[in-house]
Amino acid sequence: MFLKKNKIWLGLIVLVLVFVLLNVFQKEMRGFFYSFSAPIQKVFWRAGDSTSNFFLGIFISGNLKERIDQLEASNQKLLSQIVSLREYEQENQSLKKALEVELQKEFKLSLAQIISKDISQDSILINKGEKDNISKNMPVITEEKVLVGRVIEVYNKFSKVMLISNKNSSFDAKRPGSLISGVIKGMENEGLFFDLIPSEAEVNEGDIICTSSISGIYPEGLLVGKIKSIRKSDIESFQQAEIEPSFNLSSVENLFIITEF
Amino acid sequence: MKYLLSIIALYLLVIFQTSFLVHFSFWGIIPNLIFILIIIWNLYEDPDSSFGIYNAFVGGFFLDIFSDRIIGFNVLILVILAILIKLIFNKYVQIPFKKI
Repeated sequence: MFLKKNKIWLGLIVLVLVFVLLNVFQKEMRGFFYSFSAPIQKVFWRAGDSTSNFFLGIFISGNLKERIDQLEASNQKLLSQIVSLREYEQENQSLKKALEVELQKEFKLSLAQIISKDISQDSILINKGEKDNISKNMPVITEEKVLVGRVIEVYNKFSKVMLISNKNSSFDAKRPGSLISGVIKGMENEGLFFDLIPSEAEVNEGDIICTSSISGIYPEGLLVGKIKSIRKSDIESFQQAEIEPSFNLSSVENLFIITEF
Repeated sequence: MKYLLSIIALYLLVIFQTSFLVHFSFWGIIPNLIFILIIIWNLYEDPDSSFGIYNAFVGGFFLDIFSDRIIGFNVLILVILAILIKLIFNKYVQIPFKKI
């Protein structure tokens, strides 16, 4: 009986030590599993993407005409905005030349693909890592310069990206073309919260929010999302807004890692 | 043999969950198939058998590898869950269903 009890305690101690060791070498171990799982995960990811698109097509087919009309109207509005912005762009170029201000350089980008998503932690695994010169805290965006997140863990051939909706994510953001700025905080399940907006600032539903370069976490001008609803109180010095993120992982095939900005 | 098959099946299920099922979230929620499987397996298994606890260990390990959490987190939860189910069904509940 005494020996049996001791054996159980010994077994438990050995198990605890094994897990401590596994956590010490967790980076190497995860890298090992990711490297031989990647081909299977890629197949499953693509299959899941096309299957969900098929079912989504069936569910939204009833509202398709209405959706097309909305998108066409939005498109027309954006085209007319582009026309007026082009005039500002020309004026901006000539002013820069006159003041001899250096033009902003484009980012250096590295293309990557999504392998899997951690369902509990709002993070994804991509197929670029240390051997591709990827390092921690590099921003990750889509083709349309929509912000997705930043690299938090780098393995040999893979990297873990923390999505901007992760509850540990927070960064400064602003409404372009104005001085209105605040802090974006992750809300889990692909939700975002725009906090610390000065109470006197006039923000409206539908306003576009993009990154600001104050803290240097992300480069300026990356699209974050649109304001969905606003929470304002007369007794508080700041207002908050819920943001509808612009990134949608189910419609994204390729991502870009900003390696230099 | 059944131990090896269990490892392969649980590994493929975790990959399926993290790469295929993530595209089918409802309000950001995706079912955790490993948890569901471990609960059902331990409910239907003979309470004196330890294969369910072994499955809980392996399933938890693979869940930890493919998540951000420390290794051992899901292992601990699933193993405790499996042991609790077996204790309850061994000592306190008698349900007349077919045992694995």
